[in-house]
Amino acid sequence: MRLRNRFIRTTALASAAALVLTACGDNGADEEGPDATVEDTETDDPAEDEEAAQPGFDTCEDDPNNCNAGPVEQGGEIAFIVDQSPDSWFSYSLEGGSVYTLQALHGIYPWTGQYEPDQETYAYNMDFLAAEPELLSEGDGDEPFTYQFEIRDEAEWDDGTPITARDFEVSWKMATSEEQGHCVGCSPRATQGYDEIESIEGDDDGKTVTVTLQEGESDPEWFALFSAHSIGGGVMPAHIAEEQGFDIDDPEQLGEYFQYLNETMPEFSGGPLMIAEGDLDNQIIKEPNPNWYGEEVPLDTIILRYITDEDAFVPALSNNEVQGGSPAAFNSDVLQGLEQLPNVDVNIQPGPSWSHLDVNTENEQLADVELRRAIFTAIDVDDIGQRTYGESFPDWTRRLNHIFGEDSEFFEDFITPSDQGSGDVDQAMQILEDAGYEMDGDTLTLDGEQVGPFRLRGGDTEAVNIATQLIQSYLGDIGVEVNLEVTDDLGETLSTQDFDLMVFGWSGSPFFVSSPAQFWQSESGSNFGGYANDEVDELVGQIPQQASLDEAADLANEATELVVDDAYVLPLLETPVYLFVTESYANVRDNAATSLRGHYNIQEWGLAAQE
Amino acid sequence: MLVYIVRRILIAIPVLFAASLFVFLMADTTGDPLLELQLAQPPVSEEVIAAEAERLYLDRSVPERYWLWVTGIGGNGDIGLLQGEWGPSVRSASYDIGAEIGSRLWVTLRLVTASLFLSIGFGILTGVISALRQYSKLDYGLTFIGFTLLAMPSFWVAALLREAGVWINQQRDGPNIFWTISASSPDTRNFSNWELFTDAAGHLILPTLALFLAGYAALSRYQRASMLEVMNSDYVRLAKAKGLRHGTVVRRHALRTALIPVTTLSLLLIAGTIDGAVLVETVFQWQGLGTFLVESIQRRDSYAVMGFLMLSGILVIIANLIADILYGVLDPRIRYE
Amino acid sequence: MSEIDATRPAEPPGASGQPDAEAITTEERGQFKTVVVRFLRHRLAMISLFVFLLILAFAFLGPLVWPYDHTIQRDVPASISPTWEHPFGTTSAGNDVFAQVMRGTQQSLKVAFTVAAIATTIGAIYGAVAGYFGGRVDDILMRIVDVILVIPLLVLVAAIAGATRGGTSWYTIALIIGFFGWTSLSRLVRSVVLSLREQEFVEAARAMGASDIRIIFAHLLPNTAGVIIVAATLLIATTILAEAGLSFLGLGIQAPDTSLGLLIENARSAPFTRPWLFYPPGFFIIAIALTVNFIGDGLRDALDPRQTLVRR
Repeated sequence: MRLRNRFIRTTALASAAALVLTACGDNGADEEGPDATVEDTETDDPAEDEEAAQPGFDTCEDDPNNCNAGPVEQGGEIAFIVDQSPDSWFSYSLEGGSVYTLQALHGIYPWTGQYEPDQETYAYNMDFLAAEPELLSEGDGDEPFTYQFEIRDEAEWDDGTPITARDFEVSWKMATSEEQGHCVGCSPRATQGYDEIESIEGDDDGKTVTVTLQEGESDPEWFALFSAHSIGGGVMPAHIAEEQGFDIDDPEQLGEYFQYLNETMPEFSGGPLMIAEGDLDNQIIKEPNPNWYGEEVPLDTIILRYITDEDAFVPALSNNEVQGGSPAAFNSDVLQGLEQLPNVDVNIQPGPSWSHLDVNTENEQLADVELRRAIFTAIDVDDIGQRTYGESFPDWTRRLNHIFGEDSEFFEDFITPSDQGSGDVDQAMQILEDAGYEMDGDTLTLDGEQVGPFRLRGGDTEAVNIATQLIQSYLGDIGVEVNLEVTDDLGETLSTQDFDLMVFGWSGSPFFVSSPAQFWQSESGSNFGGYANDEVDELVGQIPQQASLDEAADLANEATELVVDDAYVLPLLETPVYLFVTESYANVRDNAATSLRGHYNIQEWGLAAQE
Repeated sequence: MLVYIVRRILIAIPVLFAASLFVFLMADTTGDPLLELQLAQPPVSEEVIAAEAERLYLDRSVPERYWLWVTGIGGNGDIGLLQGEWGPSVRSASYDIGAEIGSRLWVTLRLVTASLFLSIGFGILTGVISALRQYSKLDYGLTFIGFTLLAMPSFWVAALLREAGVWINQQRDGPNIFWTISASSPDTRNFSNWELFTDAAGHLILPTLALFLAGYAALSRYQRASMLEVMNSDYVRLAKAKGLRHGTVVRRHALRTALIPVTTLSLLLIAGTIDGAVLVETVFQWQGLGTFLVESIQRRDSYAVMGFLMLSGILVIIANLIADILYGVLDPRIRYE
Repeated sequence: MSEIDATRPAEPPGASGQPDAEAITTEERGQFKTVVVRFLRHRLAMISLFVFLLILAFAFLGPLVWPYDHTIQRDVPASISPTWEHPFGTTSAGNDVFAQVMRGTQQSLKVAFTVAAIATTIGAIYGAVAGYFGGRVDDILMRIVDVILVIPLLVLVAAIAGATRGGTSWYTIALIIGFFGWTSLSRLVRSVVLSLREQEFVEAARAMGASDIRIIFAHLLPNTAGVIIVAATLLIATTILAEAGLSFLGLGIQAPDTSLGLLIENARSAPFTRPWLFYPPGFFIIAIALTVNFIGDGLRDALDPRQTLVRR
């Protein structure tokens, strides 16, 4: 069980990285985009929801941002399961770049905003910001791309040090690559979006933060700088560096500070919570930050317990050793066990990752687009979905767009019209016949040569095992022999292109601008199947250059349509995620838009007020 | 006696060294610790990977690396068993394998010693009773239980025990008597020493029971056979024939002799208990050495795997040493010179 | 104590260690007969043998007649509780659990038999060589065994299995366990050979100019057959449990193939939700380990010349 989680680990890592990658693209600007859907966190305050208390998760589908909301009591404690322990105390670093580190540290660093559970509403953190950030210049002509954050005067670290532009500056510099000259010895896991920044300057005692990009650079997702989705999940402190004797203007010493943060449990806080005690093996105990400048945190103690064995969830919950959790991995038996427990609310919904079948286009036979189309057409994705999730989550969803989930305003379905994933064997055979393939007995041949056998690979998870076995069976129907090979090293198998067909997962987020290039550009390191289409290359190259998210999304959809036509990647299923919590707690709910999942509003969790 | 002990220790040292070579080769040649990095998305630059290889001493040859791992001479001060350093971890530069092993050792030792003592105590007791009442209902019952326990996967037993513990807790009011995860409660900040103790003891019950059962079964079967053999031996018959009381014969003569072969079981018993601890710790989510090993294997953290294997080797050797000494105490034929 | 070593110590000390060698060589046929008679009288062992043969038939012949195999079948309905058509129900993906258990039992037994074969061969020859040559050779060989024995088997095997990635099949697992599982058997054989080599028939063979190899293979090893058979039997039980332990840690046989350990592991969270997934593989593990242990016990009693012909 543990080692099988490797696959999950990889997606968890990839997810955090992808979020960062996409959080700050390079080009393009948009003024209306984010604002159109922006909403203050204030409206989400439990106090205001008092009249419309919605205990339980029944309303999550219709009102994802407010389900399980309700008035809470002051005080109380919760122990929440985290299904893996973080590897470091700093999510900038490679080892810290997992969702578990971000979850462990959420509430410690002040964040500028984040997406709400509906995946559309981007909520600025108005406890922290005095106003919504402002785009000062789109970078036309000689003017560089410039934008501004305004921090509330009350916002300060737990020791009373004000949170200022200086903190923004150090947060930015630690995320840059060494060539930028800001830091020697920082090894951030992603530098995209930060390397493009020219300067971060403060006015009004540092409470007004002006970010200027380098000439010719732009960033359509600028509004999310140091959001909860960013590389560190918020703004890092500068004053701690001084306390520890690091001069952050000296690149060498900044590098040492980077290592310091990576190794040291943060005892400071600029957010609602602070870590009272904890380690990377057993648990982290969070308590309210006494110097928190926002809405009072209801719970006295929040314990994150690392429980890596899913089978321990149900006994631990029924034994009242934990009260909830939002694990990264899906397990239908655990889910059923939870649903049988009295007094426990369980929510299940499509999560941030989705599975897909990739083709190695450099395989001699699979280089033929007609064969690929036929293969994709013969695969019955609905059947796979039903057999994988049908029992535990009847509302499972098919993934129908590589870039946008169904909830996204930019979503367009290209898969259904293409009949790929329909399981229509007759049509698949027709495609093959038209392309000159012939059936020799039960075997598909081309010019007298057998097609295949192909090596179909995937990680060792239940869902992938089901998908690969079924795909083997569908392809048998069109005379294509497939041999299943499990891989334990997803990344290795992918990067060495050691597959003919491959089932694996991507983790998506509402930030999309850099994803298409990552997936499909012929030079991209994540274009594992060696897909090369000049038209697509050009399209995806333009996406980050667009002036607005709408235009970027249009181009992304255009590229997607081409990719679907080339039958390169067949999206399969959106992987469900589940969150559970005992009925005594209010305001705990899942948020699939962020790696933080249930933790996203940890400062609002509380014991439901008794009436 | 002292000479005997010293001699046993001297014999143990070369075994330990050979074990270190064996352990090193097993862990070093069978995994590439850099894979995780190479597969990272977005891709990590060549320089970062090269720096990581250097940090993990992967740029050295295998014999060089072994030399480093044992002596630490020529290293960066983070490697060298003889200097008390366990080597760098793939997890991060700051991750100290030695400190981690150290803190987890106490967790695991608690579990292992508790269950070992229980296994030995109950194993000897029921083994002897079984043998003295050979072919009685009690003997059949104990034999059947022993065989069944031996046939059950210990993690299966552990999972069943866990369910039973939860069930019992639910049947009664008041605080839990059984805990199903971790070696102690998560928040022990306001605990008095007594509370700390009871808390740790409470968490210990189910895992100890799970680990104890299999060891107990093996030992009691062995003790029964050994005891039977002694009871059927000529000198016990002679003693009985001489008219000594049954109880005296059993206590003074038979038991002592019957314990001797059992001490030779120690190596297998302790090794088996460590094996079992890996499984049981996983079921009960103890952050001990067992889960440390599993995680290290998962992350291809070869120095950590080596460290664990080496440590369990040391534990087994120590346990064996103790058994050897006991053997000497029990067996009058061994003279200490 | 874990499953790895669990069965080994169950052996009565010395009981099987020193069979009367002369008796064996001079009265081989008579001895064999006695052994068979003794074993037949061992009621528990006989019942166990019968049950074990049934399990063997189930595992190896069953798949030939059963309409489903262990993989996902598109015509198998998903997640139904036991029916006549599917006696152990089906999984949510559409595997027939009965077929899975059949296949799992087969794979687990294959692993067990292979391990028994490998470990017996290595262990017997190794032990015989050490015992026969004695002195330096014995010292060195036995120190090596000590070294391997010092590292707990499951832990060692897990570390190695963890590094061999990519579609771990039953024979990989069998090779790994077999490669390290022979050590206690070699000790056992050595101790027997140590006493045998001073016997007259060995002296005689030597005097007649037989080579060392010939003495070991033609004279010594056949006389340790009793010990070896018993140990190999117990090794089967040990391996079944070790394989399950490896699967539990996620280091065993991988899907789409299956084993009893993997089936248990996959169903570990289902004891209450879908008991038909949880109990059958566990039952089969226990049944195999139990019967094999009883058979081993019976064999030992039968092979032990000092045992009287008592029924138990």
